[in-house]
Amino acid sequence: MPNLFTLVLQITVILAVCRLTGSLFRRFHQPRVVGEMFAGILLGPSVLGWISPQASAYLFPPSSLGFLNALSQVGVVIFMFLVGLGIDPKKLKHQSHAAVLVSHVSITAPFVLASLLALYLYPRLSDTSVSFTNFALFMGAAMSVTAFPVLARILTERDMMKSSLGNIAIACAAVDDVTGWCILAYIVVLIRAAQQTTPIWLTLGGIVLFAVIMIYGMRFLLSALLESTFRKYGEISENRMAFLLLLALASALCTERLGIHLLFGSFLMGAIMPKDPKFVRYVLDRFETITITLLLPLFFAFTGLRTNIGLLSGPSMWFYCTLIILVATGGKLGGSTIAGWLSGMPLREAAGLGTLMNTRGLMELVILNIGLEIKVISPALFSMMVLMALFTTFMTTPVLELICPDQALRPAPQRVAVPEVPLQELA
Amino acid sequence: MSGTNRKFVFAYSFLVILPLLGLAGILKSGRHLQAPASIDGLWSLQLDSAQLASLPCGKILAGIPDQAISISQSGNSFVLSFPSAPKITASGALDGTTLRASLNDMGASKDNGCTDGQPLTMLARVDRHADSKILAGTFSPTNCPACASVSFKAERQAAASPQGGH
Repeated sequence: MPNLFTLVLQITVILAVCRLTGSLFRRFHQPRVVGEMFAGILLGPSVLGWISPQASAYLFPPSSLGFLNALSQVGVVIFMFLVGLGIDPKKLKHQSHAAVLVSHVSITAPFVLASLLALYLYPRLSDTSVSFTNFALFMGAAMSVTAFPVLARILTERDMMKSSLGNIAIACAAVDDVTGWCILAYIVVLIRAAQQTTPIWLTLGGIVLFAVIMIYGMRFLLSALLESTFRKYGEISENRMAFLLLLALASALCTERLGIHLLFGSFLMGAIMPKDPKFVRYVLDRFETITITLLLPLFFAFTGLRTNIGLLSGPSMWFYCTLIILVATGGKLGGSTIAGWLSGMPLREAAGLGTLMNTRGLMELVILNIGLEIKVISPALFSMMVLMALFTTFMTTPVLELICPDQALRPAPQRVAVPEVPLQELA
Repeated sequence: MSGTNRKFVFAYSFLVILPLLGLAGILKSGRHLQAPASIDGLWSLQLDSAQLASLPCGKILAGIPDQAISISQSGNSFVLSFPSAPKITASGALDGTTLRASLNDMGASKDNGCTDGQPLTMLARVDRHADSKILAGTFSPTNCPACASVSFKAERQAAASPQGGH
């Protein structure tokens, strides 16, 4: 049984610290999510546990963390559903050459560079329980992700959503996220299949069958059940909203049972939902507040509790961390910039696009937590990657202001079809 | 093919297809790399508690009810902890198949037979296989060559199934 007092105390402290740091970071023109990520580090062994081990042990006794984790994971399941909801696969089909090139390069460049870095890091930060292939693929997937929701937030705040740069960035981020999750699903299946007796062909067959049912069956059912009702009445009954949530959770359970992960199911359910902008906004409005203000801060805190900067002892560890940040930034920012420039964008605008694509934020933390859970990365590497996620997300706004002043970006006609209702608040 | 399309095809081949071919080469060459032996996980400890208690600083360790150690590994370095006594931790290094870790002061006091500068050192060896399940070594007081050491054996417990989320 959870100690209710401890759990409520934990939630209270986490929410207070997240709100405070989030507001503080907003003053410095940073998205709130950066402050909340930072709050997680503050509450973990890196800061609170180092300054006052007694307070840390009282507030976060190891026996209580399971309940906190469970709550935070429910939040991430709903969050991934909302991320999927904000992505419209249909619209991603009709991208310009620039968007196609940038999106693909912004995946391959960091992926290949990360794999190259893996050659150096594997003998130093991994162990024989992880194969090099899984290690390298995970590093690649983790470094090639872009935080679609954080990006949407930054673009909205800077009034860049309708600019050509904003359009390309948001479309590329959506492609990157979908690709990143597919690669990650593959890695998780490989690793879990090695630990289980179920043959891999059965797992893969089950996943394909599930995806086909969702995309070609469930999608039309949802359209008939929800979208048509919404168009008719302008709202959805509480029962249908509950049904929707139930479907997201059931989908998450299916993918977990199939051997991937809960989060893939909720993401897929979100992605196949009807994409009428008003409907999407309506659903987001009902789920966002509780997810962002209550559940996601718990996830940040739990990630912070797993992040121990103290593990980075010695110059060699900090050297590895610096290399990770350099490779992640070089691959994503550099790759996207070159691709944008070769596509005919002015260099300044291409660099702005590269900077936006380098935002990793919350999506990176989600992926890293999965990596730590399946033990494909070690605790020290996890901490380094969390620092990389913080650094790359933090640098986005100041670098963007430096290389792409507002007047250089607006206005421009819409050239790329993108989701009309991004997750504006999910950052 | 128009000039724009030709440029796109060239850029795509150079920036996407070529790196992907490179990735295949990286994955192939990386297969020969050797990572440190795996020691991560929960190990159940088998030792003579009475003998351990006779060592300086050994009383606290011998008094731990559930004799299990948890190792959190990051490459060649690791953090060792006792789930039943969270205050006792040790950071150590793995050199080939040899583990060496120094336990923290464990609340050192003369009452429990622990004098300053004599925390325990763990020295052990592990098989260099991913499925190695046995760790064997000794606990001995640090900086005390004349002191006796206590042998132990640890068996790795089966990892909890990753199925079921986090």
